[in-house]
Amino acid sequence: MICTDNKQVAVVECKGLTKVYKKLLAGQSKAVCALKNISLSVAEGQIVGLIGPNGAGKSTLLNLMAGLIFPTAGCVRVCGYPARSIEARKGLGYMPEHPAFLGRYSAWATLRYHGALLGLSRRAACVQIDKWNEQLQMDEYIDRPCGDFSQGMKQRLALAIALMSEPRFLLLDEPSNGLDPIGIIQLRDLLKKLRDAGTAIVISSHRLGELEKLTNDYIFLYRGEVVSFGEQIAAGQAGRLRVELVSNGNNIAQRLLSPSKLLSVSETELVIAVGDESEVPDVVSNLTKAGARITSVLLQREDIEDVFLRLYNERA
Amino acid sequence: MRAYELMKETFFRKMYIYIVHLSWFAIYGLFLVLFAREEDDFYRIFFIWGGFLLPLTLSAGIFGDDLASGRICVLATRPFWLGELYIYRLLGLSAQAAVHFILAGCLLLIVHHFISIGSTDNLGSWLLSSWLLFNTWAALSTSLSVVVKRAYNFVFLLAAFLFFGFLNSAMSWYNPNETMTDVIKAFVKYACPPFGLLTKLAQGEYSKYSLIVGQYSAIKAVACVTHCFVLTAFYGLVGVLILNRRQFTCSQE
Repeated sequence: MICTDNKQVAVVECKGLTKVYKKLLAGQSKAVCALKNISLSVAEGQIVGLIGPNGAGKSTLLNLMAGLIFPTAGCVRVCGYPARSIEARKGLGYMPEHPAFLGRYSAWATLRYHGALLGLSRRAACVQIDKWNEQLQMDEYIDRPCGDFSQGMKQRLALAIALMSEPRFLLLDEPSNGLDPIGIIQLRDLLKKLRDAGTAIVISSHRLGELEKLTNDYIFLYRGEVVSFGEQIAAGQAGRLRVELVSNGNNIAQRLLSPSKLLSVSETELVIAVGDESEVPDVVSNLTKAGARITSVLLQREDIEDVFLRLYNERA
Repeated sequence: MRAYELMKETFFRKMYIYIVHLSWFAIYGLFLVLFAREEDDFYRIFFIWGGFLLPLTLSAGIFGDDLASGRICVLATRPFWLGELYIYRLLGLSAQAAVHFILAGCLLLIVHHFISIGSTDNLGSWLLSSWLLFNTWAALSTSLSVVVKRAYNFVFLLAAFLFFGFLNSAMSWYNPNETMTDVIKAFVKYACPPFGLLTKLAQGEYSKYSLIVGQYSAIKAVACVTHCFVLTAFYGLVGVLILNRRQFTCSQE
């Protein structure tokens, strides 16, 4: 569980979440299980990265949290209310991967429109528009029709829309898509500020380097199942051990090491996945006992990309 | 403010809506010149054009475009009852139509006044009938748009209209006394948008009956108007229920 501390309040809770889609394949209705019995919770003031290969069920999980689809089994509660209920949506800000707007509306009109949907008065909506316009630096194009917007402009506008309600729970799907480097830095700073203010944030992204700068908490999904969760896969905890040998690397590795641990192998070099530095002496000792003539040993910390690859390889 | 924005959106959502209104006015003028001698013919065409084709055109993709672009995903996460989205959009269409028919009526009166083309005897009742017909078709089309993506609601309804029209005519022609023919006729008359009833209302045919108020029979006319509102509400209710129960995906097409 990501939210294990009793003092922390869970903003989102998923219990036994299962989603089965019925799809028509070759003329026959087949059930495709997108999520299998997932339970997790996200606390306030926490940023969680949702990662996994394509088709792992990330979008399904996001959609379930946003209340856009219904679970086949289990339940999702947002701010203590069932997802999709009006109370849950009051605390929710959602930014889709490909935001779409009415092409004839300007950014300002779009924000005013969403302000109205949130039930804000004209004045309150204007205050919010000014606030997010300034924070997200949309001044240059706030009066331009959305139909002319670049991807980056759309992303900023979508983020402003998601933040207008000052949500307790923010769901972001690939938020840095199309943003320039300045925009990415601004987005990162903004998300950190929101986190410090107590907002729970779930980010689905393939940009692992970006996620790493924001959080140590990840949910790794693979084929609809949570493979790893929270601090278990925090970058920096695990690593890879690069062992250089005189010869015979292939033979020794195959005898001693499980394929999931072995990241790469050649006659003169082995790269081995290790949980943390305490495993290193054992690995080296076992290799030596097996007759390996080691010339150098180097422990490299895993970044989130390595973690992703390791988890993926373990499963695949 | 929410109601205003959602109603306003039905006019501003696409550039073509503005053009549709203007072209429809031009077409009414053309009909007037072509069919002015046969007053009934002119109003029947006006009735079909404004009461049937206008709602189909204005509501094309009213939800389907949002479903196809993924925009619905953000709308569905806003904190209000989703039925409001449907109701205010339908009201927006209805309000647009009301303004459209008032302007069309003024236009026809002006043309009639200056060049004495056509007759304005039943103009008011034809405009009312057209607006009522507009509402039923708009509700049907909007409800269909909740289910189908893009502007396919326009295509499907047009196809359904042609199919049922053809079936009705064919059955009446080949098997006029069959029970099935009666069933289809009754279905088309009462469950589908009521062309026949509203044409009679507009033509003042209900004046034959008792309890006449002015030119019309109050009971028949009120029953006809009520029937239209009930149908509109029924089609709308189906749309609201589907919208509240359906799932949304954010994939863009």
